[in-house]
Amino acid sequence: MDTTKRKTVLLLLFFSIHSLLLAGCWDRTEVNDLAIITAAGIDLTEDRYPELSVNIYVTSQSGTGGQQIGGMSDSSGGGANVSVVRSAPGLTLADATSKLQRMLPRKVFWGHDEVFIFGERLAKQGIGEPIEFLTRHPAPRERGNVFVSKGLAKDVLMLPPSIERTIADKLREVAKSQTGLNITLKELAQMMAGKSKAAIVPWLEIQPGFKNQTPFPFIMGSAVLKNGKMVGRINEYATRGVMWLRNEINLATITFSPKNTQGYVSFELKKSSTALVPHIDGDNWSITARIETLNDIVENTTDLNLMEPNNVKELETELGNDIEHRMKLALTKAQNMNADIFGFADAFYRKYPKAWKRAQDRWDEIFPKLKVKLETRTVISRPGMTGKSIIKPE
Amino acid sequence: MKTGLFGLVIFDRGIAMGNMKKRLNRLLHSDRQKPSIAAPGKDPQTEIHLSEDLNENLKLLQTVYADCSDVILHQFLIGEQTKALLAYIDGLTNLEEADQHVLAPLQQNIDAEHTLPNIRKKVAVSSIKDVRTVADIIAEVSGGNPVLLMDGQNQGLAFALSKFEKRGIEEPISESVLRGPREGFVETLRINTSMLRRKLRSPNLKIKPMNIGIYSRTPIAIAYIEGIADPGLIQEVTSRLQRIEVDGILGSAAVEELIEDNPYSPFPQLLSTERPDVASAYLLEGHVVVLVDGTPSALIAPVTIVSLLQSPDDYSERYFVGSAIRWLRYIFLFISLLGPSFYVAAVTFHQEMLPTALLLTMAKSREQVPFPALIEALIMETVFEALREAGARLPKQIGQAVSIVGALVIGQAAIAAGIASSPMVLAVAVTGVASFMAPRFTVGIAMRLLRYPMMFLAGFLGLLGLILGVIVILYHLLTLRSFGVPYMSPLAPLKRNDLKDVLWRAPRWKMNTRPHLTGEWNQYRQAPGQQPHPPKGNGEG
Repeated sequence: MDTTKRKTVLLLLFFSIHSLLLAGCWDRTEVNDLAIITAAGIDLTEDRYPELSVNIYVTSQSGTGGQQIGGMSDSSGGGANVSVVRSAPGLTLADATSKLQRMLPRKVFWGHDEVFIFGERLAKQGIGEPIEFLTRHPAPRERGNVFVSKGLAKDVLMLPPSIERTIADKLREVAKSQTGLNITLKELAQMMAGKSKAAIVPWLEIQPGFKNQTPFPFIMGSAVLKNGKMVGRINEYATRGVMWLRNEINLATITFSPKNTQGYVSFELKKSSTALVPHIDGDNWSITARIETLNDIVENTTDLNLMEPNNVKELETELGNDIEHRMKLALTKAQNMNADIFGFADAFYRKYPKAWKRAQDRWDEIFPKLKVKLETRTVISRPGMTGKSIIKPE
Repeated sequence: MKTGLFGLVIFDRGIAMGNMKKRLNRLLHSDRQKPSIAAPGKDPQTEIHLSEDLNENLKLLQTVYADCSDVILHQFLIGEQTKALLAYIDGLTNLEEADQHVLAPLQQNIDAEHTLPNIRKKVAVSSIKDVRTVADIIAEVSGGNPVLLMDGQNQGLAFALSKFEKRGIEEPISESVLRGPREGFVETLRINTSMLRRKLRSPNLKIKPMNIGIYSRTPIAIAYIEGIADPGLIQEVTSRLQRIEVDGILGSAAVEELIEDNPYSPFPQLLSTERPDVASAYLLEGHVVVLVDGTPSALIAPVTIVSLLQSPDDYSERYFVGSAIRWLRYIFLFISLLGPSFYVAAVTFHQEMLPTALLLTMAKSREQVPFPALIEALIMETVFEALREAGARLPKQIGQAVSIVGALVIGQAAIAAGIASSPMVLAVAVTGVASFMAPRFTVGIAMRLLRYPMMFLAGFLGLLGLILGVIVILYHLLTLRSFGVPYMSPLAPLKRNDLKDVLWRAPRWKMNTRPHLTGEWNQYRQAPGQQPHPPKGNGEG
């Protein structure tokens, strides 16, 4: 490389470095300039506008005052983990966000919003508009959990985050524990955009604290949405049935009293899988749900000798019946509400795309009358560490 | 050159640019006149042949060595007849031996004719050389060898009787190992070559001498193994060394800077080692070793980035351990380059990338810090580098004081004073540890230096800038060569066979082939089937 060329290169390098500086750092935001939203609640105001409430984690130690802006106050107080709740109504959710920004000294940051709660009234009116914003805007996490709350969503946001750091953390952990439904924003959007247009979302209720304990949110069954509007609720027991059918069950303890005995046997679920097999026979639509589960016995207060293979066989059948009972309960409820929350429509579409195309407008007529056959295969893999019950000597 | 073309296209545009073009041309072509330093040639008089008249020779030497108080020109009579002269430098010559084996026998009566061959027979010294010119005399005398001149002879004799004070062999300080030899090179070239010879006794180990530096005349040795090293490589190293014309070479670093391929690269293109065992290992792989008198280290050429990340300990541990440690080193190499810049990018641009719980904690700790993350990182990094530099130059006892102050300043006080957040301190500390993990100081310091532009890029452009920086560095590494060997080989270009010493440290019995450097290649280094197969069973059958 001769000197001239080298000088040209150096000169150009000099210019390009300066153009780098011209680009500046406009997108730069320091962490301490962010209002980190941990949970968002969306309600409907009296005059039927969406109202956005956000739970913001307070990072500065001095910010524990909890100023009353927009009528909302802070929660917990005193402890190290403090959050404030702010809310603002708007024409749309985007509008409400910009109004909210005006109340905050820091930049609204959606990136760590892990929980979205829809108020009951909004859910009944329809959650299509908020979902449109939350899925279109690049910032909100699509893996955030969604809930429908009894009453106002912002009441849930204002609850103290006992045990966990924030209320969002708490709700997310509860949903993740798999005893109730665990539906993310992405799954909700997929269900709403799916063939059946029906969705299921966990239902939150506020449990009043007994004695001097603080109240806390609790998942009590689920809310069923049809075309984005809430059409009904399913109780906890039947929600489990929905989870079995949706192949979402992970953690379950099933307890029942076997026939001809006194006392109970409890099973712990080890593994379960559900497969939906649709059939079309002329005009006759039906679907078979094949469930295979593997269980351990964890408690036995009956006289049954579990070392006896026949007894175990008998228990397997009865366990299958119990699971089927839950599913039937869920099915009846869903068919009464005419909301295909199990994804049957998608199963039909996948197996019979042509037939589905012809019949898709009639799905609302087909689904309530759809025959669902349940085939349960239960296996008890281990009868537990003790053989005969030690508290019931022969 | 693409950039050059691009530049011309831009500057040729429009008439308004004409003026600027002129100025630019002036800027580009204003080559400063090359300084006309008199070509450092040899002093004309030193080429003079010796005369037969001793007095003339004496006068010549007296002018050459005028005002050199340490040069002794001792005159005496051989066999009480012929005038003779012994020239030597006081302090470099073993005077006892010279007296005993040169002067004593010559001053006695000698029956034979006083000619050089007869004198040779009388002197009890194992190595005697003929000298014919003044230059020869100067070379020998400067090396400590006394030179004998006598009347009536236009030649002289040089006796290998040099002796001077030197440091003993000690453990290498910068390359200590847990297992393996503890001896390190010293300042004396001859001792260093002897250490190599002791490890590689084959006559195929060649050690070619050379002197560089007009005033220093520093002895240099080029060592290689004939039959393994590529002759083209040897030729290249030799010719690069020969073109050096400087006043003095006071250390191997000067040689390194004068013969490397890309003088503008932050990466070392020669490996400097204090250990004879490392040098020998490289010789066996076909590398060339340059030994410079006055520096207790050897230069190894060519090198690759991979060889700079290997430590002698890799080979003395079991190969599982060696491989695992090697991977640890690779990972921490990236951390040492990207640690703080990744932190800056994540904190200022990509907050959604961090786990929520971590972000909340970090936001809390950054609450009191008045600076942007980039400035915070620059402050902390610079303070850390300053502490390291201060500690490195101090004697051990005071160095500890510096490290205590450093621990307090960086660790606690900076956070308490609200200048830095604790995650930043952690990032700086981890990066500091990572940069010390590089087995070669030169690589570690290159990474440390490159960290600063990376931090700026991350601070201005976030992860985009970080990736841009990595691409530029990678581009540079991929175009870099060390004596014809691509710096990134055997990764790029991929030489699958040589990965056995890169992705893992293969056991000895698997290293059947030498890594390929350039040109001819003596491929096999051991007979196949070296894996031990001891007989199974109780040993009785």
